[in-house]
Amino acid sequence: MTGSGALRFLARRVLHSAVVLLGVMVVVFALVHLVPGDPVRIALGTRYTEESYQALRAASGLDRPLLEQFVSYVGHALTGDLGVSFRSGEPVTTTLLQRLPATVSLAVVGLLVALAISLPAGIWSGLHEGRLSDAVVRVTSQAGVSVPDFWLGQMLILVVAMTLGLLPTSGYVALSQDPAGWARHVLLPGLTVGLVAAAIMTRYIRTAVLEVAHAGHVRTARSKGLPPRVVTGRHVVRNAMIPILTITGIQLATILGGVIVVEVVFAWPGLGRLVFDAVAARDYALVQGAVLLIAVLFLVVNLVVDVLYSVVDPRIRLS
Amino acid sequence: MRRPPARRALTAGVAGAAAGMLLLSACSAGESVDLDGADGDATGASDLPVLRAAIAGEPDQLDPQSTSSYFAFQVLENVFDTLVEPDENLEMQPALAESWEVSDDQLTWTFHLRDGVTFHDGSDFTAEDVVYSYDRIVDEELSNAWKFAAVADVAAVDDLTVDITVSQPTPNLLSNLGGFKGMAIVEQGNVESGDITTAPIGTGPFSLASYSPGESIDLVANPDYWGGAPGIGGVHYTFVSEGSTAIAALQNGEIDWTDSIPAQQLEQLRGTEGVEVGTSPSNDYWYLALNEANAPWDSVAARQAVAYAIDRESILQAVSYGTAEENQLAIPEDSVWYTEYDEYDLDLDRARELLAEAGVTTPLTLDFLATSDYPETVTAAQIIASNLEPLGITVDIRTVDFATWLDEQNTGSFDLLMMGWLGNIDPDDFYYAQHHSDGGSNAQGYSNPEVDALLDAGRVETDDDARQELYAQAATTIADEASYIYLYNPSVVQAWSTDLQDYTARSDRAIRFRDVTLAGS
Repeated sequence: MTGSGALRFLARRVLHSAVVLLGVMVVVFALVHLVPGDPVRIALGTRYTEESYQALRAASGLDRPLLEQFVSYVGHALTGDLGVSFRSGEPVTTTLLQRLPATVSLAVVGLLVALAISLPAGIWSGLHEGRLSDAVVRVTSQAGVSVPDFWLGQMLILVVAMTLGLLPTSGYVALSQDPAGWARHVLLPGLTVGLVAAAIMTRYIRTAVLEVAHAGHVRTARSKGLPPRVVTGRHVVRNAMIPILTITGIQLATILGGVIVVEVVFAWPGLGRLVFDAVAARDYALVQGAVLLIAVLFLVVNLVVDVLYSVVDPRIRLS
Repeated sequence: MRRPPARRALTAGVAGAAAGMLLLSACSAGESVDLDGADGDATGASDLPVLRAAIAGEPDQLDPQSTSSYFAFQVLENVFDTLVEPDENLEMQPALAESWEVSDDQLTWTFHLRDGVTFHDGSDFTAEDVVYSYDRIVDEELSNAWKFAAVADVAAVDDLTVDITVSQPTPNLLSNLGGFKGMAIVEQGNVESGDITTAPIGTGPFSLASYSPGESIDLVANPDYWGGAPGIGGVHYTFVSEGSTAIAALQNGEIDWTDSIPAQQLEQLRGTEGVEVGTSPSNDYWYLALNEANAPWDSVAARQAVAYAIDRESILQAVSYGTAEENQLAIPEDSVWYTEYDEYDLDLDRARELLAEAGVTTPLTLDFLATSDYPETVTAAQIIASNLEPLGITVDIRTVDFATWLDEQNTGSFDLLMMGWLGNIDPDDFYYAQHHSDGGSNAQGYSNPEVDALLDAGRVETDDDARQELYAQAATTIADEASYIYLYNPSVVQAWSTDLQDYTARSDRAIRFRDVTLAGS
């Protein structure tokens, strides 16, 4: 790949992403306004006067025509101003940036846990198709996929936090503030997210390895008499890396997009809970901003995965 | 105030990467929560231990006059003061006002303010702050503006005297001014800078040290509090909506107090060593309302039929595991305004008679508006559906989120709904908005000139006994005509570590930490 090719690729992807983001804005804006439920009434409770209702409606700009609200929203969004949360009065951008570290922490730890389990398990299982170890992995991962995350979380709290007393049950500490405290708090939710993701990823990775193992070039390599270790390392795993990367990217993006149930169980201040609460309150600006941020995270993860494709497999060009 | 969101989820081969962190973390396990940010500029912060409290949700913001979230008031109860405040029996006592008197014509209330009170930033509290706070609620049409409906003017006489002029005798003025922290005295500069939503400044026993959205709120003791410095160093609030997690944290010694408690875990919690469970009958109530705009529910007899057909005992058990008190009127038994009433016993024959009397032809379908945000409404709806089945009434349960629920209620698209009212003190709070023809929360569309007259009279009657009589009459008429079908008063249920002393679960759900101490830690 040449330098200018990569640049052109990036430029095209950024342009592409901008179009996607605009689409996301239109859809989200339309959806949040279509959902029944009046944010002003929710914010006021029910025992209010008609004057209070009109005053808050006007103060929050909700009395303006929808199109006008949208145009002004997009205009401001371009400058990084995502509006003001209807309930808290805080800039949405500030709120989102405050939540991002917790979400990224949980996603990274969860993904590391998932990879640490699913990579060896999936590859081993794929290479030993039909053996007892393969069956064990398949059954375990099937069980893992079937276990609800809230139950897993509560069991971890019960065993690790309460019975063994090793870790706190819930809460969050910023990494920048207290790394040890951060680690103690992120472990249980991270394990929960990671174990669930590991179960899914193990199955994908096993399938990917199996497919490659049955492919013609691997059979050829084997028949040439290459040592199994070389066949496995150079041919099978390497070629299975593309689907593995894909599923890893998808899982990462999913976790970044919010694992609401896990966040609720562990009182984790991530984006998922924020969006959940914001939707319940019809906090339009906050919902729109959060979805936009999650969309950006998705696009970034996708872009990184695309770039990694060409690293893993030089035949894939960034074009 | 409509009950705000006050509610409330091993296998493991631990991976190598995780195991390393586990070891690292085990070393520092058991350390207590520190008040970050408060350390540096601590204004004489004491060495007293900090109380760790887990509340069931996060405040939307911290401006007491703007928020309607119970989670915000759980915190702000300890940060702000009102002119007067309810004691444990919900009678109004001096707070920022040391004393008050009413003119002979009942139209001027003079409040004498406490001298030497300062806000958390050190500035003096004066009569101007009271005028500013009340004017703001009225001028900006904040959600509590209705509490000033009878108030004509608020004026500072001198630095420590405030006159409130009302347009008619207003016996419930004190409970309107002190019933909850939505009527708190705020500081003008704090409001105008906009800081009040995240960094509020009050005159209360604790001041806000830091607020990390999504994570926690830290309060530190105010050594200059007019009621004396608190017996703890501060309060660290976390937001734990999952009740079983909060309980685990309490049992594990990670928190000292919580009200995030699933009813079904109450029994188990009661038997836990080191944990104290406090319950108090609350002055909240839950009710059913039939939409009188929809036939046949415009008929009193048809509504009464439903009232006779429902099995209150089963509903109570299912939604509260026996912690709530059955009640067929709004006001709970331990209130001085209580009226005895137990007309509606489960009686299907009577129900059938009444339906026939109303000329109702069955089968009939009834649209029950429930909301997932208050699971009790869904649980009760299921019981009510089976209660009404023998009468030939099919109940369609429609479960929506609370935002939609409010819309549907307001546009009258329901036959039957269940909801609760919270934060009532004066009898006017219990009945006027809900059952007066002009009431702001009369979604069921009840209108009875006789009841209107009683409720109007109750608003201006200054003799307590006469007032009691008026409300007793209004309340029984309302129940007789089944404007609301009252179900129960829920209990306030909270749990705390036995290290926490002198704390009481209050019937008005005000979480007050100023008088508590913390042993041990």
